[in-house]
Amino acid sequence: MSALLRADGLGKRFGGLRAVKQVSFELAAGEITGILGPNGAGKTTLFNLLTGFMAPDEGRVEFAGKVLTGLAPQRVVNLGLARTFQLCRPFVGMSVLENVMVGCLCPRVRADGGGAARAMELLRMVGLERKAQTPAQLLPYGDQRRLEIARALATRPRLLLLDEPFAGLGKAEIDPLSDLIRRLHAQEGLTLLIIEHKLREFMKLVTRVIAMDFGEVIAEGDPEGIVQDPRVIRAYIGGTEDAHGAA
Amino acid sequence: MTVRRDLVGAVLAVSILAVAPPLVGSSYLVGVLTVAVIYGLWAASWDFMSGLTGRENFGFALFIGAGAYTAGFLDTLAHLSPWWGLAAGMAAAALFSLLLGFPTLRLKGPYFALAMLSASAIMQRLMLIFWETTGGEEGLYGIAPLFSSPLAYYYFVLAATVASVAFLVMLARSPWGLILRAIRGDEATCLAAGIDVTFYKMVSLIISAAFGGLGGALYAHYQLQVSPQLFSVVTTITVIIMVYVGGMGSIYGALGGALLLTLLTELLRDFGQWRLLVYSLTLILILFFLPGGLVAPLWRRLRGGGGR
Repeated sequence: MSALLRADGLGKRFGGLRAVKQVSFELAAGEITGILGPNGAGKTTLFNLLTGFMAPDEGRVEFAGKVLTGLAPQRVVNLGLARTFQLCRPFVGMSVLENVMVGCLCPRVRADGGGAARAMELLRMVGLERKAQTPAQLLPYGDQRRLEIARALATRPRLLLLDEPFAGLGKAEIDPLSDLIRRLHAQEGLTLLIIEHKLREFMKLVTRVIAMDFGEVIAEGDPEGIVQDPRVIRAYIGGTEDAHGAA
Repeated sequence: MTVRRDLVGAVLAVSILAVAPPLVGSSYLVGVLTVAVIYGLWAASWDFMSGLTGRENFGFALFIGAGAYTAGFLDTLAHLSPWWGLAAGMAAAALFSLLLGFPTLRLKGPYFALAMLSASAIMQRLMLIFWETTGGEEGLYGIAPLFSSPLAYYYFVLAATVASVAFLVMLARSPWGLILRAIRGDEATCLAAGIDVTFYKMVSLIISAAFGGLGGALYAHYQLQVSPQLFSVVTTITVIIMVYVGGMGSIYGALGGALLLTLLTELLRDFGQWRLLVYSLTLILILFFLPGGLVAPLWRRLRGGGGR
């Protein structure tokens, strides 16, 4: 099995804080992998290292056989690795459709043409086609998430990194979004890496989990196994043997 | 639909500009309109980079001055055909934008605006320091006119400006313009969409500078003289105010704002010493009640439909 993404000994320091240390893992094509961990575990920093938004102090990232370390974020996207942000950041003053069209203009897909039509197709895929002309900043939060995903899909990624896609969403919005993510995986053959807090939704969605705490990978495995893992329980609940027994 | 109405509006506006001088028959009006149209070219050029991307250029006068002095030097020193001055003025301004944009446009925050402001101030000083070649305070004079008749020159300036502004409007409404507006919206999201933000900012600055330089060269061949005042921050601020009154990000609005304000300045001559006060008050009122500007929003209303 050849890995689509390989992180090898990644590390990042902010002053005295080691936000990410010695993180190594592999993603196989077609997987949905989750990154689990409490606040401050270094998950978003890890995303920034993988996508070129930050340069690692040590270690390297390989994607589809190419070394990504040191590449600017737009170069990484154009190699087929796209991301969404934890806080939605739509282009203010532009319509929903125009927001997605910007993604269709990146060098990776621009030559294929079909800008507006393809953007519309993506909006249909995420269920925003009726809001195409709405100014993006007026969308409710759940719809902004879908817009983020559509914009990322516009760059035709092979691997999509979702940073807490369910954060701030109500129960009624979570299920349809889970369905959307499953559909992207099944129909588009997308490989996904997802950061999440909401354990229940998350565990139903992913096939493999990488658990992090204090910037390190503390456990790796299938969702059932990982919630039983004493190191993961300790990281989440803070107890020792008692917590283990209670779980 | 809206495109057709835009075209009708543009043809109407240009026709009025074209027939007004012969109808009124005043050489004074020809002069005022020539300057107004050149200011319109500057305002539209400023708007193309700064209005679309939101990176305010407080040193735009540098490009104006570079174009004007280049045209002036070519004419007074090199004695080439004055037509070369127009192309050379564009090229010189573009070169300056490359030198200044390359180190500053990748920075976040106000550095670009500050660096441009300083650069134009430095250029103004350099014109005084090297007075033996630049003519110091008096600048260059005795520049040859491009046409013997002022009316013919006015039509030439009008044609050059209309062609330039039409080009800039088309570019602003193309995928290029969409990317520039996205940069205004959020740079990090642009990167996440695979867009090379620095490249697009750089090229839009070069385009903005080139047309600013063309306006500078046209101005030199109208005044037949250039002075260091062209580099001053007052020139930049005047242009920026015109863009604000026109409505940022529409390009054609900037041209309208420039025409409006230049004509307003002339109409207010009757106020004598109170002129500046009345002018400033009018500006404050316009910007207070119409923060989105006057010309472009008004036209969108008249035209109906969506779009810019």
